Amino acid sequence: MLALLIPGLLFTPLALAVLCLLVNFRIGRLFSWVGIIVQVLVALGLWATVADQGGLYYDLGGWAAPLGIELRVDGLAVTFVLLTAVVASAAALHAGAYLDPRKGYQSYFWPLLWFLWAGLNGVWLAGDLFNLYVGLELISLAAVGLVALGGEAPALRAALRYLYAALLGSLGYLLAVALVYGSYGTLSLSGIAELAADHPPAPLILVLAALGLALKTALFPLHFWLPAAHGIAKSPVSALLSALVVKASFYIMARLWLEMGEQAGSIWLAQGLGALGAAGVVVGSWQAFRQSRLKMVVAYSSVAQIGYLFLLFPLSWGVATTTAELAQQGITLHLISHALAKAAMFLAAGNLILAVGNPQVSALAGVSRFLPFSLFSFGLAAVSLMGLPPSGGFVAKWLLLQASLAAGQWWWIGVLLLGSLLSALYVFRIFRASFLETGSDDPFYHPPRSLEVIPMALAVMAIGLGFVANLPLTVMALPVGGGVP
Amino acid sequence: MKLLLVLIAAVVLTVVLGQTAWQILAQPTPVDLRELVAEAMPDSGVAHPITAVLLNFRSYDTLLEIGVLVVAGMAGLSMRAVAPLEAPAMRTSDTLLQALLRWFVPFLLVLSAYLLWAGSDRSGGAFQAGAVLGATGVLLRLGGVPLDFLRPGLMLRLGLVLGFAVFLLVAVMGAIRGDMFLAYPQEWAGLLIVVIEAALTLSIAMVLVGLFAVAPAQATERDWPSREGKR
Repeated sequence: MLALLIPGLLFTPLALAVLCLLVNFRIGRLFSWVGIIVQVLVALGLWATVADQGGLYYDLGGWAAPLGIELRVDGLAVTFVLLTAVVASAAALHAGAYLDPRKGYQSYFWPLLWFLWAGLNGVWLAGDLFNLYVGLELISLAAVGLVALGGEAPALRAALRYLYAALLGSLGYLLAVALVYGSYGTLSLSGIAELAADHPPAPLILVLAALGLALKTALFPLHFWLPAAHGIAKSPVSALLSALVVKASFYIMARLWLEMGEQAGSIWLAQGLGALGAAGVVVGSWQAFRQSRLKMVVAYSSVAQIGYLFLLFPLSWGVATTTAELAQQGITLHLISHALAKAAMFLAAGNLILAVGNPQVSALAGVSRFLPFSLFSFGLAAVSLMGLPPSGGFVAKWLLLQASLAAGQWWWIGVLLLGSLLSALYVFRIFRASFLETGSDDPFYHPPRSLEVIPMALAVMAIGLGFVANLPLTVMALPVGGGVP
Repeated sequence: MKLLLVLIAAVVLTVVLGQTAWQILAQPTPVDLRELVAEAMPDSGVAHPITAVLLNFRSYDTLLEIGVLVVAGMAGLSMRAVAPLEAPAMRTSDTLLQALLRWFVPFLLVLSAYLLWAGSDRSGGAFQAGAVLGATGVLLRLGGVPLDFLRPGLMLRLGLVLGFAVFLLVAVMGAIRGDMFLAYPQEWAGLLIVVIEAALTLSIAMVLVGLFAVAPAQATERDWPSREGKR
């Protein structure tokens, strides 16, 4: 079964990228619907197989690891593959109705989307440092192309800035990879993990990788490119970027940290990254509160939510194994629930902007009366972002809270509480604007039901994650070999 | 002040990086990939180790790299309509350039083909051949030769993805035969690599010429308003 699932997972997005490049928007959409079904089924199949039988290594081209490239198909990887399938399908289905097929350049959306999807799958599964770099490049360039789609001057400016930041970040990571290859003579992650005990890696390796990847993940204060790019892109694109793209570089950093952190990390690096994350939570939320455009609020909220991810480093360095596991679970759950909630939020924001015909927060007056459904999706997503029970965001923060206590690093608890409070601040500002009464006649365009349902489904999933959190938490911890007991 | 800080940061980084690299290079690596490559060479289907690594042992990296090139070409195309090939800015009456073209173009085509062929047993291959072929296209375009396939139609897009599509098909054939993704049948490896490289050469050249063609011939202020008006 796996012999077909893994090639299917790699082949379908790439093949669809080729097919969709050769046709117009409508036919591309048709192809993409088929592709979405295949990808979701394959991702589900792979997830179920790994949950049942445990992870495995897949040797691409039949060449074993140090010589060839191996894929590491473990619980964490397939969990993210499934997450990608869910979020990307939602964004793609939304885009199919949201984008204007009369504009010729929009037809490039489909091939770029499929390349992005292939790159994401590639990064989650990669077991090779250089392969991770290639996957990261594929993701970055496809993402830049998606931001620039259409080529109006402000979008181009944001895309170019994004491109420079992404390239610089990649360069930092590539330098780190070169140093690793120089020290070990191999690029295979599993091989390096084995060797690291006897040959401790140079501390500079982790510092360079952390710098480069933090720039790509938009860790405060390296987040300068994110709000412009995520704020100006078309809403389905913003959803993809905030939910998945920034997570890819974080995922690589987390994997490096968990393999090499013990030898090459230091308390300074761990606490420093955590402190920057905490600063990001506060500054991002405050900036989100101050934005006048709806999508910029959501974009700055991403800066804040990304900050939490970096608590992984202090909470998993020099602490008991159980504490580190708790932190990993909390961070993974936060990543998943943020991906679902933020995608829902951007899509809902896109619908709201479509409805009122104006990107300003102040233009939302009257929305609660005439468009309650759109606003409700936005609100449900916000519940998870704020970390209110019973959402996935709540369970994630609860786990992080416990990890902070167990690690004796009580200062992160303050960050978690303050972050929730500040996110309530910017969310309620939007609600306040939308609850203003404007009069009894409905001035709004009503988006088609298909556009409305998608963010709702994502938001419901973000909330529902809180109820079934145990299942992903068990599967994500599965190493290579050995299924759920 | 800002410049000074950047300068200091750059110097510090260079020194630290140089020192670390020096320390790392002074020690032997625990794994010797060159040895592994040498051992696997007879099964690779080609005689040159670099080609074997790029198109067989680590072909997955190369497949995705070609994907990156296609994305770059595509992103370029999506942003700007190609200036009409008959645009006055592209016409030239430079007799020297015309005369040079007559000499250069056939020569470059032969050179590109040679580089592609050489890749199987010495340095060379699709990337080098594609770069030369791309340069030939750029020269032709500068010389005002109308290259019809550069219109943003099906031909251009087909050329853009041809190499990638061929590579991907070969890759999935391995899985369909019940082997791993990207695995070549032993006896066909050499031939398949040559076919992939030939298709890649065309597509790499197409990406390069395509990106050159979508860049404005002469970036003027007038370019933008006229474009906005069209939409």
